Amino acid sequence: MSESRRLPPGEKDIVQLGYLRLTDSAPVIMARELGLYARYGLDVVLHKEVSWANLRDKLVTGGLDAAQMLAPLPLAMSLGVGGIRADVITGLALSLNGNAITVSPALSAAIEACGGDAVASARSTAEALGSWIRARGSADQLTFASAHSFSCHTFLLRLWLQAGGLDPQRDVQIIVLPPEQMVDSLARGIIDGFCVGEPWNSMAVQYGVGTVQASGYQIWNNGIEKVLGVLESWHQRFPATHLRLRLALMESCRWLADLSNREEAAAVLALPDYLDTPVEFLSPSLSGQFLYAKGQQPVDMPHFHVFGRFQAGFPWRSHGEWLLEQTGALLGRSLPAERIKSLVQQSYRTDLYREAARHLGIPCPSGDYKPINQHHEVWEYAPGIELGPDMSLSS
Amino acid sequence: MPNRPEPARALRLILVDDDRVRAAAVELNLAHAGFEVLSVIPTGSGLLYQMAQQEPDVVIVALDSPDRDVLESLSIASSHNARPVVMFSEAGDQGFIADAIRAGVTAYQAEDISPPRVRAAIDVAIAQFSAFNAIRLELDETRRQLSERKQVEKAKGLLMSIHKVAEDEAFSTLRKLAMDKNKTLGETAIDVIAILEASKRKGDVNV
Repeated sequence: MSESRRLPPGEKDIVQLGYLRLTDSAPVIMARELGLYARYGLDVVLHKEVSWANLRDKLVTGGLDAAQMLAPLPLAMSLGVGGIRADVITGLALSLNGNAITVSPALSAAIEACGGDAVASARSTAEALGSWIRARGSADQLTFASAHSFSCHTFLLRLWLQAGGLDPQRDVQIIVLPPEQMVDSLARGIIDGFCVGEPWNSMAVQYGVGTVQASGYQIWNNGIEKVLGVLESWHQRFPATHLRLRLALMESCRWLADLSNREEAAAVLALPDYLDTPVEFLSPSLSGQFLYAKGQQPVDMPHFHVFGRFQAGFPWRSHGEWLLEQTGALLGRSLPAERIKSLVQQSYRTDLYREAARHLGIPCPSGDYKPINQHHEVWEYAPGIELGPDMSLSS
Repeated sequence: MPNRPEPARALRLILVDDDRVRAAAVELNLAHAGFEVLSVIPTGSGLLYQMAQQEPDVVIVALDSPDRDVLESLSIASSHNARPVVMFSEAGDQGFIADAIRAGVTAYQAEDISPPRVRAAIDVAIAQFSAFNAIRLELDETRRQLSERKQVEKAKGLLMSIHKVAEDEAFSTLRKLAMDKNKTLGETAIDVIAILEASKRKGDVNV
């Protein structure tokens, strides 16, 4: 309770928080299990939503106070693309990485035959896919699925295809499917591959209906993935509650940063109240022992999900700008640089992150922008501020 | 919309809902309102495939269906087979529905309202969709015209420089070619450009 008393009193104690059935919902779920919401005087009610559209609409219409969101979603909503317009902000990123591209066994065999080796590099599988598609000419187009139009899944998929010399608009078809339909649609041959978060890739691998061709980390090292989103108007009415919520989640992320806690997290997430999924589908990505294909040896991938390290919570505006550029490319129009800059400044609230970090006494970056495509290894942004590699396939 | 004539044929709908009991009630309402319900499908039955097969005029989807993201993505990617979408939800969500409409989401529809109001909501969704689609088609047409004009200009320029003729003569040559071959001016321009550029590369200018 001492933490709670040093802070300004919350304007509201009961918070309705939305999330989706995904492995990287771990921060919002573990904060409850570890009693972190209570430590900050909050009574958080978790709502498991079925789709990003539902979660988004409930946030806008007041059914939810806050939500775990795809990182591009606050920007897309502020821009007003995809159904609804609302000023949404984030003062805390919840995770980096966490996605993968999985394809059918048949396509996987073709990629392997053309020299693709997923464990070695995402570029090799992309190039193999590219040469295979070009060699077969104008046969039936392949269909890939993403979990939402404005998502890192779509952007990673496009980046990967482009690395193979393919035009994501012309050379393949990309459709949207709910995450929960991905594995079944792949098994039934409705789609040839998908890009989605966990546990759906691991599930496809373990059922033997798909093999992973690239992890999100391999396509973009430490790319921002999920954020805590609230309406700007909500933040203005409840700033102290918002701060308490961020603090609870930052502590949860810090707990999850330790890989030795991940098995416990997997066991909790598996429960019927939460993901309601066998723990075998959750462990590979959470423990960092990721399985690319059934029957193979797990690959050591400690950064498959990054929570609470490498400044994962900091909503870098450089990330926000990159996401908006990708959104523009998807819509077939380039957004003016000034518009991108101002939208990101409104939406990606680095000041709110710094406010929370001060309370926890953790160091955080002094700038809002950082380079992309410059570091192959862990590096020091400033004394005591360690950032992860930041290479991407676009380099 | 006063004196709106009755449509010649009933609008054909696909209803997407995982809740069988609720779906049955909604289907009954829709049938009463004079719509033809092609099928009632639950999530996970391949919505995109069903849409391609059945070609519905409108898709009615439960507010809490995971397929909403799928339908939304259709209106973003214009190459997809977009359809007007109407969402409905439980009667208890009235406030939510009003807010959603105010926020600009496609028409929402509670399940317990009367057939005339079901009809009105669907009409609104179709009107919104058609207006949007008309703009998109108009934009495509404008783009096409613009690119055609560019091709004609280019073909004219090539004719002028290679055949050393004035602009109006180049244009009438182009028009005569188009009439002779029964093609549009734009198509003819593309042919002429291809021929002239090929001959230029070979150094042969006698077209």
